[in-house]
Amino acid sequence: MSFLTLNSLSKIYGNFTAVDAVDLEVSKGEFVSLLGPSGCGKTTTLQMIAGLAEPSAGTVTLDGREITREKPNRRGLGIVFQTYALFPHMTVAQNVSFGLEMRKVGRAERDRRVAEALALVKLDRFADRYPRQLSGGQRQRVAIARALVIEPPVLLLDEPLSNLDAKLREEMQFELRRIQQTVGTTTIMVTHDQGEALSISDRVVVMEHGRMTQADVPAAVYDHPATEFISSFIGKMNNIPGIALKLGIRAHGVILPATDCPATEGESAVLSLRPERITIVPAGQGHLHGVVSARFFFGSHWLFNVDTAVGQIIVSWPNTDGSLPASQGQPVGLSWLPESARVSARTQETSRIDA
Amino acid sequence: MTARTSSTPWFLSLPGLIFFLGMVVLPLTLTAVLSFHAYDFNIGVLDSYTLSNYTTVLSDPYFLSIFWRTLRIAFITTVLCVVIGVPEAYILSRMWNPWRSIFLLVIIGPLLVSVVVRSFGWSMLLGSTGLISKASIMLGLGPVRILYSEAAIVIALVHVMLPFMIIPVWTAIQKLDPGLEPAAWSLGASRFTAVRRIILPQISLGVLSGSLIVFGLSASSFAIPGLLGGRRLKMAATVVYDEYMHELNWPLGAAIAFIVLVANLLIMLAYNRMIEAKARKVLG
Ligand SMILES: Nc1ncnc2c1ncn2[C@@H]1O[C@H](COP(=O)(O)OP(=O)(O)OP(=O)(O)O)[C@@H](O)[C@H]1O
Ligand SMILES: [Mg+2]
Repeated sequence: MSFLTLNSLSKIYGNFTAVDAVDLEVSKGEFVSLLGPSGCGKTTTLQMIAGLAEPSAGTVTLDGREITREKPNRRGLGIVFQTYALFPHMTVAQNVSFGLEMRKVGRAERDRRVAEALALVKLDRFADRYPRQLSGGQRQRVAIARALVIEPPVLLLDEPLSNLDAKLREEMQFELRRIQQTVGTTTIMVTHDQGEALSISDRVVVMEHGRMTQADVPAAVYDHPATEFISSFIGKMNNIPGIALKLGIRAHGVILPATDCPATEGESAVLSLRPERITIVPAGQGHLHGVVSARFFFGSHWLFNVDTAVGQIIVSWPNTDGSLPASQGQPVGLSWLPESARVSARTQETSRIDA
Repeated sequence: MTARTSSTPWFLSLPGLIFFLGMVVLPLTLTAVLSFHAYDFNIGVLDSYTLSNYTTVLSDPYFLSIFWRTLRIAFITTVLCVVIGVPEAYILSRMWNPWRSIFLLVIIGPLLVSVVVRSFGWSMLLGSTGLISKASIMLGLGPVRILYSEAAIVIALVHVMLPFMIIPVWTAIQKLDPGLEPAAWSLGASRFTAVRRIILPQISLGVLSGSLIVFGLSASSFAIPGLLGGRRLKMAATVVYDEYMHELNWPLGAAIAFIVLVANLLIMLAYNRMIEAKARKVLG
């Protein structure tokens, strides 16, 4: 049973379609990420749900009630803005309390709920500070507390972590997930960070040019990307163009095997292969031969650039026992399980992107 | 080394300092000295010193009524500028181009027209045979004459002072995070409540500094009360002019000018204090 439903929701600015007929069903308690490159219409979609942008077409239904034209202050949704939009002239406690005041909650209960919300985001000691006296991560938590204290049916987050540095960002991702699971609020988060979307959401919705191109659990989006664009946008991907065969493709005279091969035989197609699915084997073995041209260390794994007949291939090698399969300049063979590779038809659009 | 670096700022500010001393401090001192000179109607300014100019001014109901009127007009003008200017600045900040540029030009417009031409325009509108009076006659309400009344002065002053209110307030609004209002709405605040609880407290500094400018300029305005107040309705600046140019009693004029200056200064300093206290609270 869907809790929040977007029905062919569209937004047109002049003659530019920012959001093009997005359909989405979000269940109660679910954490959904809207993922996509800059300008693909994520914020616009979120704002239409929030009532801050008026849809050009389509409907928004919340818990069986249509709210497409309802004013934002009547929807009662919790929103965390990219800039946090904390009220600078109010203390942390006053900021969090504002929504309760608007709901005419009594003084005693208000204080209790503010204290609860601040405890949830671990900011109880900062109640009397002003926003300018807080760090970025603390401000962000105030914004979350302020949005959650009104017990909204849906929490909307617009790139809540984009202003934080990498370390804090990672911490806050887990923190955000913890808070969301504690409270159980249905959450929609906008992000352009694929790692963030994959790691903390129940479902990832990928948007491209205002259109929704895939909505699935993170592992499915990663392992079975619906389009070539998604495959390269989420994680690293080797895309090798060639001619489709029955089980694989032929590229530059080399046959590359793949079991997942929906493209028509003889048509031009692309074989997609994740770097971590490739193993480096001694030269002369494997499906493809090449020379290691560069090597990068990432702590948990190594990345190898291997120059082959079909172009440069990226291979990831886990740093399990510190041993290295090859050094720079060394000829190697590349091998993979045919089930790990995927062949898709080369669309008009993808060939344009490559050009 | 330190001696040289510490003298450099003085050296660099020398041109400004000379200008300030020559154009502000010197005339002010001369006026102050002049205000203590005795005066005789037949001989002119005497060499002896006296406090009688001040006692005359401060004990004469005629002058006191003028001071009182000056303060009242400046105060009413300031209040009206706040009441009209703040909402106008808010609306302006929510406009899109090209409307914003057009309306900004309309608001700054009065400053681009000579004060004489502008006042002449107002007298044509407000006079007993003016447009407003004619309209009132046509409606059967009889003639109205606003010209040569305090109302005329206030109307013309508000007209020209509005930009000095709108621009600081508008600047203050521009500096705010555009997400603040949507955040307040999402928490259940109506549009009005969002403005009152979130926007107004943060632009109060702009409003206060705008008021300071408007009050100071209105209290010392000369051309508008001179042209629209007529011969009878005097304000501080016009009465100083009268003493200098008609009565030729320069010491008395200087005393009035000095009293107005000090009163204005005291009011503005007190007000500025308030602003600073407020700023400390808002900005920390
Ligand atoms: N008021 C507007 N008028 C015209 N076009 C707009 C307006 N607001 C947004 N757009 C356009 O709509 C598209 C989608 O904008 P949106 O802000 O939703 O992008 P986004 O996916 O959130 O991007 P980002 O990751 O950079 O925040 C953009 O191409 C933008 O230029
Ligand atoms: Mg955005």
